[in-house]
Amino acid sequence: MSLYMVPIQTRTGDPTPYERQLATAIEGVFGEGEHSLEGLVEGLNSAGVFAPDGKTWTAESFTTEIARLGDQ
Amino acid sequence: MARVYKPGALSADEIFATGLRDQWHAVCPSSWVERGAIRKLKRLGEDWVLYRQSDGTVRMLADRCPHRGAPLSHGMHLGDRIACKYHGVQVDGEGTVLSVPGMPGCNLEGKKLVRALPVQEVGGAILAWFGLDTETEPTPLVVPDPLADEGVSEFLCYTEWKAPWRFAVENLLDPMHGAFLHHESHSMFGGEQSARFRIRETDRGFFFEKTNQRGVNFDWVEFSRSGVDWVDLEIPYPATAGPGGPFGIVGMATPIDEGTTSIFFWRYRRVVGWERDVWRFLYRTTLEERHWAVLQQDRAMLEGMAPDADQAENLYQHDLGVIRLRRMYRAQAEEQAKALAEA
Repeated sequence: MSLYMVPIQTRTGDPTPYERQLATAIEGVFGEGEHSLEGLVEGLNSAGVFAPDGKTWTAESFTTEIARLGDQ
Repeated sequence: MARVYKPGALSADEIFATGLRDQWHAVCPSSWVERGAIRKLKRLGEDWVLYRQSDGTVRMLADRCPHRGAPLSHGMHLGDRIACKYHGVQVDGEGTVLSVPGMPGCNLEGKKLVRALPVQEVGGAILAWFGLDTETEPTPLVVPDPLADEGVSEFLCYTEWKAPWRFAVENLLDPMHGAFLHHESHSMFGGEQSARFRIRETDRGFFFEKTNQRGVNFDWVEFSRSGVDWVDLEIPYPATAGPGGPFGIVGMATPIDEGTTSIFFWRYRRVVGWERDVWRFLYRTTLEERHWAVLQQDRAMLEGMAPDADQAENLYQHDLGVIRLRRMYRAQAEEQAKALAEA
């Protein structure tokens, strides 16, 4: 009997380069101990990791985008 | 008189090895049985067929056609029933023979001849009631509270280990291994490597917890019996995981057979709004594989243990939770074997 051992069960493909870069940047900001939404948005912008449209993040654009990414 | 297959009178050892009866057990992820699908699974040492009716209802039957014992899982899905591939006998989700196409009017028609288990879906998994007797009414299933809480977000991780189910449950009742086995991990590198433990009773089970440390490593676990046996525990995340505090695990382990176990881990976090969304994004993108690496440390250890590893142990204070659990399951296995012998 072959046993079911699948390391990634919550997505069907690899994350896109954009998703990887965003995740790394978010973890970087969080890792500094900055856990507020405002601090996160500011941290991403100062790291040069911008929204998909190339604009700097705002709290509104970030929460909209992360809701989309979080619910995929 | 028509015959219905059921396993014979199991001994206490057999019940202990293949899983306690008269309770709910998690069977598989809901996604394994899609609409129109038929799936064969072994659980508690027996073969079952699961299928999802066209109306979405999941059914679980003993994988034996009442005619000649052929596997119903080889059959055809007919919307609300399965037609056996061997001679076309049609059985519905309650185990009743609806039609014997080869011999219309055959006296098997209308009789309930296949064992059917009551089924419920909870948190993206299928749970079934494994009664000691086919006629026993299921006890109510109380959903583990983190899975029923709207302020909680969770992901189910399912896997299978070549280890007895009791090793998997005992592993969860043993928080101290976190500071050693998982010392090299993203979540359990911190805290003391020595502790004193205590048992704290609840109305549905008990806590097994460190007396000197909480919120630093795997420091406590709650064992609950609410129709289904489950544990709840909490492990801290590093700062990189963002706001929301520690993550929790609701864990269940279901015997496939005496040497193989289905593992259900609902990893959850008390997060709402953007904090929920960002955790779900990070979980999918980076955290899930780190959690998986930790789970592989458990798997390697438990699969490496001899099947009779627990025959010559020398336990100490940290094993009180394990001892308590074993005593409870052992006594229950004895009771169930007695009830079967007397039936």
